[in-house]
Amino acid sequence: MTNDDRFQALYRKYYKRMVRFYVGSFRVSQEDAEELTQDAFFRFLEAMDEYRGDAEWAYLEAIARNVAYNRIRSQNTAKRGAETVDINDRNSVPEPAAPSEPDYAQREEAALRSKLLRQAIAELPAGSRECIQLWLNDFKYDEIAKFLGITLDAVKSRLRDAKKILRARLGDSNALPEDEE
Amino acid sequence: MTTKSEFAAALMAEDHQRPAPPTAEKMLAFTRGELPPEEAAGIRERLIAYPDLVRTLTAQFPEAAEPGDPDYLSDDEFAGRWAALQKRRQRPDGGRVLQFWRAFGAIAATLAIVFGAMLWRAQMQLKEPRAVWQEESLLPDGQRGLGDKANELTAAGDSYLLVPSLLDNRPFERYRAEIIDASNPQRSLWRGDVVRGSHDDALVIVVGREFLKPGKYKLLVYGIAGARQEPLSTYTIRVPER
Repeated sequence: MTNDDRFQALYRKYYKRMVRFYVGSFRVSQEDAEELTQDAFFRFLEAMDEYRGDAEWAYLEAIARNVAYNRIRSQNTAKRGAETVDINDRNSVPEPAAPSEPDYAQREEAALRSKLLRQAIAELPAGSRECIQLWLNDFKYDEIAKFLGITLDAVKSRLRDAKKILRARLGDSNALPEDEE
Repeated sequence: MTTKSEFAAALMAEDHQRPAPPTAEKMLAFTRGELPPEEAAGIRERLIAYPDLVRTLTAQFPEAAEPGDPDYLSDDEFAGRWAALQKRRQRPDGGRVLQFWRAFGAIAATLAIVFGAMLWRAQMQLKEPRAVWQEESLLPDGQRGLGDKANELTAAGDSYLLVPSLLDNRPFERYRAEIIDASNPQRSLWRGDVVRGSHDDALVIVVGREFLKPGKYKLLVYGIAGARQEPLSTYTIRVPER
């Protein structure tokens, strides 16, 4: 079997599912997902000659993840490098008018509350903090375990500890649901 | 009652204070388990600030579709995509760098004229008696002690022989340097490939004395491997009044 034959077999088996993988996991458009898939396969094709392992699908998976990483990273980097505007620049977009007092007070209260929650999370022990941060971002227990390289039970235990500490610090009214995955 | 989403939003409020995400190379080393535990922990922590990047590691990769499954590409579906891949493969640049060169073709042509004129001038100057170049060793920013003063160029002669020390010992195919105006970083004065000198950890760049007027500059050094260009070090240089 030539390299092209092996590649074609994999391409047919994975193309549509990889497009769905990109759309579903990274919320990109269908068009972007097809571009990413084609890009991943192109890289795979280019590197096939040098690959000596048996599990080609695993190699394809690594490349596909890497392609996604590069895309998302560059988007994040672009956001970080967004143009800033000098506050003294009269030509910049004018700020909206100052909000009326009740809205301002509400916003201040919300900001303070947000700060308190953030501080409380920041002060958690490292292991619990990592778990709760991922959990708050809607990662499932098994995904958290996979990323942190720990067992499912350890994830549950660390989350339980984190929630307990947060409740003690912020009060019962700020308690997070116990068993919500 | 504080909801889960309120907590998540509180974390996102710090968005602008997030550290930079790890580079693709670091990420690869991280996933392969090649980093020492402390560094791996640091990468993990930085990644957690970017849930979408974590998802690239944790998202469930699909199983293969077997013939007969609707997800298995038909002959027709395959043919068009395969042709596009083959076409892209035949281009030596993989269809990317070419667009870059199109966009910067005009700039390259302008630079060619400028450098042509400089070369002609340099050749004319070569015919004149010249002073011996004195080496100017440069330390990268952050490595010059308290206050981090600029590398001051003190050598006499017609040109400066800049020898920036590289702390990063990874070998690259090529190195590229760029000199920018420190007071206006958007203003690039020169860029070009440079060679590694007799010392393993240093590069050698010859700059005409007339080229660098008194003032402050930054020398940026990049390592190039394939299509990847990685910033290695920045050196702040000060040219004193003569």
